[in-house]
Amino acid sequence: MVTPTAAREPHPHHRLSQPPPNPLREGLRLERIAEPCTMVICGATGDLTERKLGPALYNSLLGGFLPPEFTVVGFARRDLSNEAFREHLLGGINRFSRNRPAKPAIWDSFARGIEYHRGNFDDPGAFVELAKRLDRIDRDRGTAGNRLFYLAVPPGLYPEIVNQLDRAGLATSGRHRMSGSKRGWTRVIVEKPFGYDLDSARTLNREIAEVFEERQVYRIDHYLGKETVQNLSVFRFGNGLFEPIWNRRYIDSVQITVAETVGVEGRGDFYDQTGALRDIVQNHGLQLLAMFAMEPPVEFGPEDLRDEKLKVLRAVKPMPPEEVAANTVRGQYVNGWVEGERMPAYRDEAEVAPDSETETFVALKLAIDSWRWAGVPFYVRTGKALPSRVTEIAVQFRRAPLALFSRAGVSQVDPNVLAIRVQPDEGILLRFGAKVPGQGLQIRTVNMDFRYGSSFAVDSPDAYETLLLDAMIGDASLFTRDDEVERAWTILDPILDAWQSGHGGPLHFYGAGSWGPPAAEELLEREGRAWRKP
Amino acid sequence: MAEAVSPGGGGAPDEAAVPDEIAVHRHLMRFGEFESLATPTWEERGTTVQAVAGHLGSLWDVPAAPQGDEHATITEKGLPHARASVLNLIAVVLDDAAADRVVRTLMALGVRHPSRAIVLVPEHGANGRPLDARISTHCNDALGGGDRVCYEEVVLFVRGEAAGHLAGIVAPLLIHDLPTHVWWPGDPPFGHPIFDQVVELGDRVLVDTADFTDLAPGMRRIAALRRRSGVGDLNWERLAWWQELTAQFFDAPRFRRYLPNLSRLVIRYAVAPSGAVAGGGRAAGDADETAPGVASPMAQAVLYAGWIATRLGWRRYRTIESLRDGAFVLKLEGKHEMVDLMIRPEETDELRPGELISVRLRSLGETGAGEFIIDRSGDDATVATNADGMTALLRRVPMETPAEAELLSAQLAMDALDPVHTDALRAAGILLASAREPAA
Repeated sequence: MVTPTAAREPHPHHRLSQPPPNPLREGLRLERIAEPCTMVICGATGDLTERKLGPALYNSLLGGFLPPEFTVVGFARRDLSNEAFREHLLGGINRFSRNRPAKPAIWDSFARGIEYHRGNFDDPGAFVELAKRLDRIDRDRGTAGNRLFYLAVPPGLYPEIVNQLDRAGLATSGRHRMSGSKRGWTRVIVEKPFGYDLDSARTLNREIAEVFEERQVYRIDHYLGKETVQNLSVFRFGNGLFEPIWNRRYIDSVQITVAETVGVEGRGDFYDQTGALRDIVQNHGLQLLAMFAMEPPVEFGPEDLRDEKLKVLRAVKPMPPEEVAANTVRGQYVNGWVEGERMPAYRDEAEVAPDSETETFVALKLAIDSWRWAGVPFYVRTGKALPSRVTEIAVQFRRAPLALFSRAGVSQVDPNVLAIRVQPDEGILLRFGAKVPGQGLQIRTVNMDFRYGSSFAVDSPDAYETLLLDAMIGDASLFTRDDEVERAWTILDPILDAWQSGHGGPLHFYGAGSWGPPAAEELLEREGRAWRKP
Repeated sequence: MAEAVSPGGGGAPDEAAVPDEIAVHRHLMRFGEFESLATPTWEERGTTVQAVAGHLGSLWDVPAAPQGDEHATITEKGLPHARASVLNLIAVVLDDAAADRVVRTLMALGVRHPSRAIVLVPEHGANGRPLDARISTHCNDALGGGDRVCYEEVVLFVRGEAAGHLAGIVAPLLIHDLPTHVWWPGDPPFGHPIFDQVVELGDRVLVDTADFTDLAPGMRRIAALRRRSGVGDLNWERLAWWQELTAQFFDAPRFRRYLPNLSRLVIRYAVAPSGAVAGGGRAAGDADETAPGVASPMAQAVLYAGWIATRLGWRRYRTIESLRDGAFVLKLEGKHEMVDLMIRPEETDELRPGELISVRLRSLGETGAGEFIIDRSGDDATVATNADGMTALLRRVPMETPAEAELLSAQLAMDALDPVHTDALRAAGILLASAREPAA
């Protein structure tokens, strides 16, 4: 079980070779332990750190997922002491963590590995100092030269920061490093939005690529960290039942809904420049579509998985400008009632232009021109101020080939629907026809409704816990690759252009609390279909 | 045949097979008293398997949805949505202590409960009605969602000759096509016909080796037990966090090279303060009498030692200090070094008897000295690495004693053979046998 040679000869030149695997690890429950590393949070005094990153780290610590050497360096402009920064993190944990409040003894011990680095992102000196600090941490805390940079800053600052990291020699991994530890990895996590159109996404990707190799870059879309999205793969590829019918021969159409009940929630300025297509469809919407429609990957590794997702996106052909008006509907909510509360019109929201043309609702008909999906329409809709918060993928199957019961007065049996609910109440619902008991023949459609929550005790980790751990382990499966991002924009750019130029159809209005403008219904009705009311 | 039956270790099987029936009844009645109760408890004395199966089949029936309801729902069980059943659990109760434990633990499982639990009370020597049954249904709110998790408890009293044919009684009452776990709370009567029969009913058997009064042979027999989905051990589950922390010392490559050169392992475990330990001398209430893991307080420590020994390929060499008052010292042969294994009890009333208090691993090789320490105090532990000439890498981690329900639910989630556990059990048996030999 133990290979003795590595330990028997502890000569210096052997130290760089990898020792045999840890024999005590075999058969243990936790297989995914982060490697010793330092996580540098750029923009550490912001909202994201307080609400998400601090709690995610603390919960990972409680779960035993963080190694003893793990160290956090908060990097931001504000003048804070180590102690004040620790208090800032602790405050966030005590307010937002799923395990709270923090246990004092555990926190005090964790806090010893938390430091604050004050500096401006445009100051080269601050990065030189950061490099020294990281070398010191490697020496003192045994973080082995492994570094994870989390850019918790607006995307506009990414280029500046990655360039500064580069100039300070902090961007390279292992033996390419100019100074400090010659071992270990360097990774960088960036947050969405990844650009606002194809050009800007390419520019952003290029600027990052000038400094980092793609395999060092982790683009976080917290949606993909949700247990439920990962379950989609298990549902498809872990069951022999569904995969054989997962194609154009049996499936009539697919509906993807990402519905929110909220309005812009104080993000008026950001949202007014973004809109629903960029905010939701570009990332969550197309990622759900890709996960749903992809071919089985050769292996469940990050590159295979992302290759398959990319193939789906490549098969979604960008719409010619003249087809945009027919295949898209954009809407904006006017005042109404959502969940029993009054919601003002979008244009009355703070920081929103009073004549804003920004869409808060979008419905699309997309086609995947692949062997598997040719001819199957994929309807995607998302919106704000809709009646319920729900994310689901609904598959409508083809009708039975023969109306066998028509003589008994049953003209048409509804098609079967399989709905995969991502949130809330994660589960699977199957609609099928059943005979109403009694004499005569009456058929009624019934639901077979399965919920994960009633079968398993779920206390799922927060998406950020999963994703941070993945980045520390080096598993990029749930992160978006540069080519995926660019392909998504290639699909959406023509739609944005047509809307911009006024050829993409009008902006429709819908009352807050409705399922979008009537035009969205018509998009399906003219093909003999209807949106589900999830 | 003549091994102990009850957790208290008393009596031959034939005497113990007629437990204090009233006390057992009294405990098991409590299934019907919990807030989670969903439908009135059903009870039938002198019933038949068919009648029980019939009642189980209609358990969750509700009136059909009104005509014309668009969102009518067909479900297997009449819940608003289909319950996806996960597994069956059979728990065997031979005495009132076990009855109390089973009720408390199953109810504490809450949403982690298996879909159907059958509590089996075989009363071999008893006369009277061959079968009494009681069924209660329970629902709990699922964590963080609007869902309810529902399940049923079936209590079966099987008397006389029928107790010799348990398979025919229990099998028709299981939810079909699901894995079945058999949980034997207390000291299992190896070789006894009831034990053998019940074990045959499950794909997986769950025991708590800390309940074994005769630890070494018990561990060896459990290691030899062959079930399709393995044998679970609540005592192994107790060690999970200790194992994790121990493994973490050596996850860092630079510390891994200390592993083959470990030369000393000291394990301290809790025992009740003297005067309270022997013969249940303490004025013990129900909770103490039935608390799991007190029959053999040394069980955790020995199993931990067995785990390390098998993972690192240590072999028995000689006995330095024979087992006395729960302590012993062995010399083992490691890959590179001789290893001193010391197991020591420590009197405390802060921890439950049997809980580990500290683990210290020391390495003394060409690689230099290294020390790896886990020290528990209350609900957390200090974990320290002292090696590589580094200042001690020190941290505090949570270390709570899991309730039996948590141990059980974690073990219910497993459904595979665990060779690491089997190896550890076997090694623990060998270590204990060595400890009983005279010092050389």
